[in-house]
Amino acid sequence: MNPRMAIETHELSKRYRRVSALTECTVTVPTGRVCGLVGPNGAGKTTLLRMLAGLARPTGGTALVLGGAPRQDPAFLAEIGFLAQEIPLYRRLSAEDHIRAGAHLNPRWDASLARTRLEELRIPLDQRVGTLSGGQRAQVALGLTLAKRPRVLLLDEPVAALDPLARRNFLATLTSAVTEAEGGLTVVLSSHLVTDLERVCDHLILLAGSRVQLCGDIDTLLAGHKVLVGPRQDAAPIERTHKVVQTVSTAHLSTLLVRLNGPVTDPAYQAEDVTFEELVLAYLGADEAPASKHLTRIGEDS
Amino acid sequence: MTWLVWRQYRAQATITSVLLAAAAAVILADGFQIASHWHSIRVTCSGNSACLQQHVPLVSGLVSDLPYASLIVPVVLGMLWGAPLVAHELESRTIDFAWTQSVTRTRWLTVKAGWLLLAAAACGGVIAALTTWWSGPGNALQADAFAPGQFDTQGVVPIGYAVFAMALGIAAGTASRRTLPAIAVALGGFIALRLVISDFLRQHYMTAVTTYYHVTGSFTPPGQAWVLAQGAVSRTGVVVPQGWGDLYPALPAACRRLLPTAPTGQSGWLNAVLSCMQAHGWRGFATYQPASRYWPFQGIETGIYLLLAAALIAVTFAIVRRRDA
Repeated sequence: MNPRMAIETHELSKRYRRVSALTECTVTVPTGRVCGLVGPNGAGKTTLLRMLAGLARPTGGTALVLGGAPRQDPAFLAEIGFLAQEIPLYRRLSAEDHIRAGAHLNPRWDASLARTRLEELRIPLDQRVGTLSGGQRAQVALGLTLAKRPRVLLLDEPVAALDPLARRNFLATLTSAVTEAEGGLTVVLSSHLVTDLERVCDHLILLAGSRVQLCGDIDTLLAGHKVLVGPRQDAAPIERTHKVVQTVSTAHLSTLLVRLNGPVTDPAYQAEDVTFEELVLAYLGADEAPASKHLTRIGEDS
Repeated sequence: MTWLVWRQYRAQATITSVLLAAAAAVILADGFQIASHWHSIRVTCSGNSACLQQHVPLVSGLVSDLPYASLIVPVVLGMLWGAPLVAHELESRTIDFAWTQSVTRTRWLTVKAGWLLLAAAACGGVIAALTTWWSGPGNALQADAFAPGQFDTQGVVPIGYAVFAMALGIAAGTASRRTLPAIAVALGGFIALRLVISDFLRQHYMTAVTTYYHVTGSFTPPGQAWVLAQGAVSRTGVVVPQGWGDLYPALPAACRRLLPTAPTGQSGWLNAVLSCMQAHGWRGFATYQPASRYWPFQGIETGIYLLLAAALIAVTFAIVRRRDA
């Protein structure tokens, strides 16, 4: 175990009967990072987060969160903040009820933090949460998760259902919590919204077809990839040294997104920096072929 | 944890308490009326049993169904409180909130299920105490406390039923993960088990006592015994139950002749037939559970339901601990 790693998984897998939800997932997230988790629907994002939170059990491999396997232990549970896609709250209870419940259920509960945050956002504390708007509910849920003072925060598409303004408020709350924690809070945030992730994340895990495609520091990943623009020709010489992730061709020009393995020496190509969005989309698109192969293999297994 | 349980269930708890109090008021008001009626009957009849028998049944009309209505309470609690305990949290995904606080699933279930089982036992106890008291005069007059329908609503067995129904609801909701099927299972399972136990199992808790007597005489087991069968039995083992419906084909030819061929206003023929049967070796018999076994039977039946409830709760814990949320 590496003390600098908040999250470490090794060949973590989850199968539901014949369907593989996550296959041999090996990732690390260093302490204090905000890690974006991207991937198409069904890529295994939710499965990964739920296993890290101890809500689901792996069928293979290991997961370490803060150095230990997720388990039914009050001390472990106290370190984890989890917020699911559905924003689970008791609809008939008020935000204040939830805050009081949290005080009874958690050792480090910061009720005043939750109340102050929600009052700043002018969210009524005494109203049933079922009557609040989606954005307000998400803020209540995030406030409760943060009031727990977790060291690892696992957020599963919490902004998916929110309008742009509510989304911005949500991410601002998240960012300020990370800043206040001064490196003591590690976040994994899954989302479809690449621009949101680019704004708040400094680490990336990309899943597709239930497998890890990319994992690492975002700046390092961006520096390690280039977009090569050149005449439409055989890409074999490039593929000998670099890994071509995606090729887009017009009649005369080819645009290759490559993972670099040393400098690009071919004078026929012009190398350009890759943007976060290009990188993510290239890997998501590149998966399509392997993903279908993967499905076939599962079919053969059975 | 207890605070959250109270906050989640306080509305239901209040409504249930109000309904229970209303039911208690009705039972008490009616019970006092029955008690005073019973007192005046006893004064009038002063121990004359023929006089007392004129007043059977002591209670008639709608209120006589009161004990049966009380049988519904445990299963309703199991359906409305037990079935959603885990299932509704799974359906509404609030389980993700509950199971990611700093409380283990085991403790979460212990506190939640513990309070609900306790509440079920309390409700069952209150209903049982009221019904037992209400049925007192009727039982004294009719000597039927041990009879099916009376036995089930009095003493301590209603507590066993209530705890079992709650446990069944909780376990069904946990296993099916959905409230509606769990409600159906709780209702169906409870009724099925009650029928099987009260109709087929209960009479075998202890070997029944059989007493033989002169077929010309009569016999009533002492006290509030539970009579399972009574009638006449021949030397070869042919049984004719009381009521004499199937008497004719069973009779020896000599006795058959004594039966009247047409309806007659006199009943002298019956004594002649019985004497004839007596001469041919017939005996009267009564098979029954003696009154002294009332409390052992209450204990055995309550024990069965509590053990089944414990098994269901153990299964619930195993599922909650191991299964994904």
